[in-house]
Amino acid sequence: MSYDRVIELKELQRHYEMGGDTIKALDGVDLDISRGEYISIVGPSGSGKTTLFNLIGGLDKPTKGSVYIDGVAISQLDAYELAWLRCRKIGYIFQSFNLIQVLTALENVALPTVFAGVPREEGSNRAKKLLESVGLRDRLNHRPTELSAGQQQRVAIARALANDPSIILADEPTGNLDLNTGMEIIDLLHGLNKTRGLTLIAATHDLKMIKASDRIVWMRDGKIEKIERG
Amino acid sequence: MSGDQSGRVTFRLTDAVRLGLDYIKRRFSRSVINMASIALADSFLTALLLTDLFSGSQLNSGSIGVDSPQFWLVLVALVVMVVGVTNSMLISVYERYREIGTMKCIGALDQHILMLFIVESSIQGLSGGILGYILGLLAAIISTGFTIGFDSIQGVSTSTLLFSFLATTILSLVLSVVASIYPALRASRLDPVEALQYEL
Repeated sequence: MSYDRVIELKELQRHYEMGGDTIKALDGVDLDISRGEYISIVGPSGSGKTTLFNLIGGLDKPTKGSVYIDGVAISQLDAYELAWLRCRKIGYIFQSFNLIQVLTALENVALPTVFAGVPREEGSNRAKKLLESVGLRDRLNHRPTELSAGQQQRVAIARALANDPSIILADEPTGNLDLNTGMEIIDLLHGLNKTRGLTLIAATHDLKMIKASDRIVWMRDGKIEKIERG
Repeated sequence: MSGDQSGRVTFRLTDAVRLGLDYIKRRFSRSVINMASIALADSFLTALLLTDLFSGSQLNSGSIGVDSPQFWLVLVALVVMVVGVTNSMLISVYERYREIGTMKCIGALDQHILMLFIVESSIQGLSGGILGYILGLLAAIISTGFTIGFDSIQGVSTSTLLFSFLATTILSLVLSVVASIYPALRASRLDPVEALQYEL
């Protein structure tokens, strides 16, 4: 069954106890995200962007409220189902790339297919194609330390796509890149969003990234301040 | 989309061995120090055992009983080895916080991370054990050969040697795994959110 609303957030709250005080990192967030949408999440640090990300990605559990992905409340999932969700449905892109240092670009991209149970050769072929599609045809056997920041982020994007997920979560994907490289990465992500119909959710400060998106969600103090059309 | 559609993530032993070997290769100097500590403890034990065995037919008195100082020395060497391996595995876990967090993001379960670290430690324990046996055997041959004579060594059967090889190597393997249980558990239970925010 395919829902048009790929992600639904319902009265999402996440509170932390810190030295007797309750910190409301998220304080009641409602948001529906449609399939194929490109959403930018914007806000000052401490506004709850990262917490929101962790909750959508199933890395953290809400204090109250629910996250639905394709109509399924992810708080209902057990560890196995959650791992499967992270592996198959969601692709993560981080500010600091987070590639496995001992593995080559090809092996990094193929790693999610290992967890997905894809035969080794097929995973490797898929990784090769993905690396070609992000313009790294001649960097397959380079390790992260032998690649530039922009190339590393390309590898990370290819890795996020390895199991053909429907959602890409990108946390400040251009935060560690210079202007031009950042622009290339934005174009690449935007292109993937359009050609593959991927739902792209990006936390960002980058104005160029914000401009390209369908909707802009402004966060402040754990709440949605306003939502703008891009 | 191909692969397992049943909703289960997988990580086979062969995957863990491949990845474990990659980690050992890329951090070769530390792995070598680890293997050397295992090999040294193992060779000490082997040398004492075999010297005893080689000269046993002549002297007919064991030198590695509980009451002998050598027994306690070997025990200390083994304990030091276990502590050393635990320590270096813990450092390895700290260094890989982000990578562990990343792996959990792309589908790894706690037990997969556990398996990865245990396998890595097993490889080190096994290679350290084999190397240690060779060193210990050489030491025993030299020390017995020059004190009692090389003839006495020929009296020991191949099966006895093979048995001592298996026993000491398996001991190295087991101790290496035991040493890595705590670091591996720690790694496997890491919260991905925390692990990803960790700055070394």
